[in-house]
Amino acid sequence: MRDLGKLLCACLASLALYGLLFALVLDRPLSDGTLRLEMQRKLAYAARLPSPKLLVLAGSNAAYSHRCQVIGPMLRLPCVNGGIALGIGLDDQFTRWEPLLHPGDIVYLPMEFAQYTVSHAANRLGPDAAILLRHNRIILARLPPGRWLGAFFAADLRALVLSAVEMAVHTAGLAGPRRALAGKFDAAGDRIGATAAKARRNQAFLATLDRADPTAAQIDSGYGSIEIIRFLHWATAHHVHAIGGLPTEFAAIRLPAETLAATGALYRRNHAGFLMLPGESRYPHRDFYDSPDHLVQGCQIAHSIAVARALAKLLRRAIRPPPAWVKKHHCR
Amino acid sequence: MLFNTPVFILGFLPIALAGFFLLGRWAGRRAALWYLAGASLFFYGWWNPPFVLLLAGSIGANYGLGQAILHARLAGRTRQARLILIAGLALDLGLLGWFKYAHFLAASLAALAGWPAPHWHIFLPLAISFFTFQQVMFLVDSFRADRADAGLLAYANFIAFFPHLISGPIVRPKDIIPQFQGDTVVLWNTNGFAEGLDIFLLGLAKKLVLADTFGGFADVGFAAANHAAPLGFFEAWYALLAYALQIYFDFSGYSDMAIGLARMFGIRFPLNFASPYKSRNIREFWQHWNMTLSFFLRDYLYIPLGGNRHGEGRRIGNLMATMLLGGLWHGAGWTFIAWGGLHGAYLVIHGWFRRLARPLPAPFRPIGRLGAHALTLLAVILAWVPFRASGLPACLTLLRGLAGLNGIALPRLMIRALPALGWIARPVPVLPYLGDTRTLAFPEITACLALGWFIVLALPHLHQMSAPTRRLAVAGSFAFAMQALFFAPAVIPFLYFQF
Repeated sequence: MRDLGKLLCACLASLALYGLLFALVLDRPLSDGTLRLEMQRKLAYAARLPSPKLLVLAGSNAAYSHRCQVIGPMLRLPCVNGGIALGIGLDDQFTRWEPLLHPGDIVYLPMEFAQYTVSHAANRLGPDAAILLRHNRIILARLPPGRWLGAFFAADLRALVLSAVEMAVHTAGLAGPRRALAGKFDAAGDRIGATAAKARRNQAFLATLDRADPTAAQIDSGYGSIEIIRFLHWATAHHVHAIGGLPTEFAAIRLPAETLAATGALYRRNHAGFLMLPGESRYPHRDFYDSPDHLVQGCQIAHSIAVARALAKLLRRAIRPPPAWVKKHHCR
Repeated sequence: MLFNTPVFILGFLPIALAGFFLLGRWAGRRAALWYLAGASLFFYGWWNPPFVLLLAGSIGANYGLGQAILHARLAGRTRQARLILIAGLALDLGLLGWFKYAHFLAASLAALAGWPAPHWHIFLPLAISFFTFQQVMFLVDSFRADRADAGLLAYANFIAFFPHLISGPIVRPKDIIPQFQGDTVVLWNTNGFAEGLDIFLLGLAKKLVLADTFGGFADVGFAAANHAAPLGFFEAWYALLAYALQIYFDFSGYSDMAIGLARMFGIRFPLNFASPYKSRNIREFWQHWNMTLSFFLRDYLYIPLGGNRHGEGRRIGNLMATMLLGGLWHGAGWTFIAWGGLHGAYLVIHGWFRRLARPLPAPFRPIGRLGAHALTLLAVILAWVPFRASGLPACLTLLRGLAGLNGIALPRLMIRALPALGWIARPVPVLPYLGDTRTLAFPEITACLALGWFIVLALPHLHQMSAPTRRLAVAGSFAFAMQALFFAPAVIPFLYFQF
């Protein structure tokens, strides 16, 4: 019996040591640190904006394919681009953004399809799980208990090793989150500098991508959809105007009509608007930077102009012409 | 059902253990053994229920044949015993041959004749390679009268006992059957259970924490080789070094889990791995790698073929035949035959070396030992290339990378940190066939490989560890194992399941 007791103690000690290490000691200042800094900057910028304001929120599709510095002036609304990365849990994102949203604000959600269909398990273990445990335990405490467990058990052996490597590289001054983000985002959080010239070296890679769209059933049953619906209810209750939209994708892949219908219905059923652009936000391969969610800069601007015009129509707002500086940029 | 899944650990295992010991206490040994045999068949049927009939039929037929052989032999009817043995071996090897090798043989013959490849869809029953060898052992030991008379119940448990049914260890009838026949098997032993659980948890950590991590690194490199990608020097070596660790931790982890599970049921299995990568020659390697298979090949193939008793030519022939068949046993493919052939050649060369080489002078012996270790390790690692590659073209692609024929590149960040590296490597933003193609993948994988090889080369294996050291190992690994068990995105099967 004593042997079994000692073994049980070893197991408990292991869990305690693991928790202490990843909650208090180890960190990933480069990979997670870059995401965290990007998030902090966007939230801080949003906190300074007067209401009513526009928030563009999705994964990296928001940042790469939408430009607040085009949409905002055209709609005469202060605008912040909240998109960071696809894997960041929607519950986490909404929890961070909700306190900054006020009656009259508008949230445009061109969510990537993977954000609707993400499973509960994958949502718990996204890149934000480690950030929540190490740096944002107050936000973590506001999330459901399943998220606490996910955050506690987010780190595997690679995370342990990567933490050691990143901490060493960061301490040696070889790389850092500020350097990683330098010149890549404007003040509003839009991704800049994804030029067509840089995109050329990615074209062969882009040609190999063939991402299938989810089915309507997957949209309806995805864990991400549950989180989006919960946010739409919150928005309605707080007089925030939420509007769904489509992510940018390759035109070569046709969006199934039932998937489109299910996506639109998700918003309309929950008292939100849904924005459809001509061509369903689908563009030729050559318009993309390094993935179907990421347009090259000129096309990002063109897409943003189209989004601003459609939003103006949906919101019945007056529209201004695009800012003069966009004339320097061309899509195709 | 896989050992590394919550359904096994939280569902099947506690029910199997509780039922076995409670029945043993209240209904006796026979009832407990019937229950255990039933539980083992349920475990096997979880994968594909109809194949339970094949396993049960094979157990029944082999038991009958084994008893007939033993009784004929004990009655002095050797010729009759031999005939029954031949019939039994033909049945077992015929089944294995049909399910595992028929398509390979037909495809190879068709290729030789220039005919189109056949499209047979033969479903390979899980574990057939292992339970066939167990039953071959039983028949041969019956012929040798090297086993006690056993009842069907003990025999069924000897073959189907779920801890070793799928991937071994391959255990001898005379070592295991008497354990099932003893009355003490059904007596609960807390310390035995704790020891078994301890070994099981460390085996689980080897699989989930180490093998699956290294497997992820190896898969990227070998997948690139399958597509004839121009693997660089570091990408090729890192993939190969990672695979060598993956297969060791995966299979030795499985063996430890099997040993631990058996110990929980009061059964002792033999050791199957004993730090094989620490070996200083290839013979020693085979005495420490998959030891129960090595003993089987030696005692049931190499020695019956004549071993080293009929001159050098026959010795080489027997050794090569044994290793080629050993390779083929791992899988129906030319790459496995090449792996077996390589190891056969290594063993032949080692035999010559042992006879011809003179001992080094005393001051040079430590260097000699180090050189012998390095050479053995290099030979073993290089032999994993054909074992893991999907075919000959992929082997050649990987070997080109290993030889540095596609150049030596390193991430720019590394060269900035250590400028001397710039003398041997050209800077690139990322290595495209290394890990997940990030700048930091290189130092991350370097550190992981260093940790893995440190564990393998510098630490004792877990059966050499004292109980307190083992508990320390549990304290270091348990949380990571639970993380992988309950939170990993996918369950990765054991590598030896495919064999």
